Amino acid sequence: MAKLLDKQRYKCALGAMQTVQAIDRAIPILHSGPGCAQKLSDSIGSSGYFSPNIFPCTSINEKDVVFGGVKKLDTTIENALKVIDADFFVVLSGCIPEIVGDDTGDVVGRYQDEGKPIVYASTAGFKGNNYKGHEQVIDAIVEQYLEKSDEKEEGLVNIWADVPYQDLFWLGNIRELEKLLREIGLKPNAIFGYKNGIENIKKIPKAQFNLLVSPWVSLTNVKKMERKFGTPYLHYPTLPIGAYETSKFLRTVGEFAGVDKEKVEAVINEHENYYYYLIERYADMFLETRVMAKQFSVVADAQYALGITKFLVNDLGLFPAKQFVSDDTPKQYREKIAEEFKNLNYGIEAEVSFENDGYKIHNEIREHDYHGYPLILGSYYEKEVTNELSGHYLNISWPVQDKVVLDDFYVGYTGGIRLIEDIYSVAVQRWN
Amino acid sequence: MGEIRQIAIYGKGGIGKSTTTQNLTAGLIEHGKKVMVVGCDPKADSTRLLLGGLAQKTVLDTIRDEGEDIELDRIMREGFGGTRCVESGGPEPGVGCAGRGIITSINMLENLGAYTDDLDYVFYDVLGDVVCGGFAMPIREGKAKEIYIVASGEMMALYAANNIAKGIKRYARTGGVRLGGIICNSRNVDRELDLLRAFAKELGTQLLYFVPRDNIVQRAEINKKTVIEYKPDSAQAQEYRNLAEAVINNTNFAIPTPMTQERLEEILFEFGLMEDDYQI
Repeated sequence: MAKLLDKQRYKCALGAMQTVQAIDRAIPILHSGPGCAQKLSDSIGSSGYFSPNIFPCTSINEKDVVFGGVKKLDTTIENALKVIDADFFVVLSGCIPEIVGDDTGDVVGRYQDEGKPIVYASTAGFKGNNYKGHEQVIDAIVEQYLEKSDEKEEGLVNIWADVPYQDLFWLGNIRELEKLLREIGLKPNAIFGYKNGIENIKKIPKAQFNLLVSPWVSLTNVKKMERKFGTPYLHYPTLPIGAYETSKFLRTVGEFAGVDKEKVEAVINEHENYYYYLIERYADMFLETRVMAKQFSVVADAQYALGITKFLVNDLGLFPAKQFVSDDTPKQYREKIAEEFKNLNYGIEAEVSFENDGYKIHNEIREHDYHGYPLILGSYYEKEVTNELSGHYLNISWPVQDKVVLDDFYVGYTGGIRLIEDIYSVAVQRWN
Repeated sequence: MGEIRQIAIYGKGGIGKSTTTQNLTAGLIEHGKKVMVVGCDPKADSTRLLLGGLAQKTVLDTIRDEGEDIELDRIMREGFGGTRCVESGGPEPGVGCAGRGIITSINMLENLGAYTDDLDYVFYDVLGDVVCGGFAMPIREGKAKEIYIVASGEMMALYAANNIAKGIKRYARTGGVRLGGIICNSRNVDRELDLLRAFAKELGTQLLYFVPRDNIVQRAEINKKTVIEYKPDSAQAQEYRNLAEAVINNTNFAIPTPMTQERLEEILFEFGLMEDDYQI
């Protein structure tokens, strides 16, 4: 039976235009009605390569529904290629052309035959949310643009982590992951972010392996790359935040890549020394900030719910109340992810609920006894309910109204410190 | 003037819906009725006999070429005996959405004021099976309240008719649409009349009229005419006049009771259609 979904925390698959916007000098071409484009462009939060509001769109109407929209798509692509100075074009088709049955692949295929840097992804809203749309874009690149490479580059590692813009820390996170990999002697290759454009896309098939840092998003992508390019993958389900998880992460990556153990330990040692220097220096603050919550809940996608839960338990010694995964995680991944929430230090296990309905989430938060002020890390939707409970609130997941992030991040040792700063900044302001 | 009787004609592809509709229309014209025929088939061949050829530009072609700001006379032509003829048209085979096309063109007709009070009958001649919501447009939103299914004694025609009845039942609850009966366009199948009567009864409706097979229909079609116009004195012309009279006098409007595939096959078996030597 149909039900009402309250406060949904994602967009439709066409929201994958954000994924394209995160690739340097890439531009989305939307094959959709003008309303889809307008609504989605509002939530990007940056200008992308070009502009959040200026991109080619077929703006199809009733006439195109009846007679098919392929002619309009053809002229839109043709003109986009003429007037837009971009390295890479991704055609994204919305609900209408997918229902009517427009053969987008045929139109785009003709430009591909001419050697134009263009792919298409079927991102109809009824196929799922923008997490799935993100996968579709990567799939399109792998399937249509790249070929298997006989030449493999030792130490070259493709990084797949966040869904750009859906995760507001995506840019900082990618840069920090790249930095960490470089430090242990690997050559990171990410396609999203600063100077990571078409040249990095072309390098994908040459990588020694794919590194997937995510509970489930892009698992299908790395599996496909394993089949098509013969590239093995390392699936690290937890976004490493703070010293405990980041050191574990570096050891796992180092071992998989065949990096000398001593080298990895040296890097870890240097980072941990500084990390625990800070923790020690501020130990009194941790101890004396007595208003600080004892129990917490995270309301976010699987990536952040899991990453932050592990950090707050393993590094900060907080106790988890129920955690809420709000990205509509496909059912086949849920059991494994729930197991990860039980894999915490000190024998602690976190209960997790795969729930994307804000009304139900907020009711559960209201009903739980947090043994003091609750700490709620979530989307902007959680601000009101946290205020009701006089709790501590931090906006870490989409939608975001409480902060502006250019390249701030929570990943790694430094990211853990940033998250501590942000959480304690909220706590110390309680009596202001 | 009473309310316009809006009638949708459904039936298996190739069963003779367009031929029956146009000959029936000619019969109604002879009874002094004002009739509009709306072809709801991308092939746009529902008014050919009334217009004496396929000269009509379809609603959707007109919208595509000239936009939506058009006059009614751009899409409506007058045919035999003052019949108003409209062809919805549609996209080329294999592209676009023909169902949406029908919705678009019927909305267009309404906006342009095609449904004038002096009309007695409006016929919607709809292609084959009701494959999607668009092809159900004439019976949605209270447009056509009366449906006739054209069928013959062949199994696939009855199978399609039963399926169409399912669609009618769906919209009967909300839209007030009713099944007025089955019109048999005979294929000279053994025991066809008995079979059609039994089938109609099972469906909770009636066999409204049995149109016998006569090659004069094909000759009239080659001459781009209805039988009534082509050979007014022929026996077949009289059959269509009788059909028109049956429609005019019909008071039996029912919510159909579609049957299961098993029950349909039972009936066919009973009337000998399933026997080994049966051939279409």
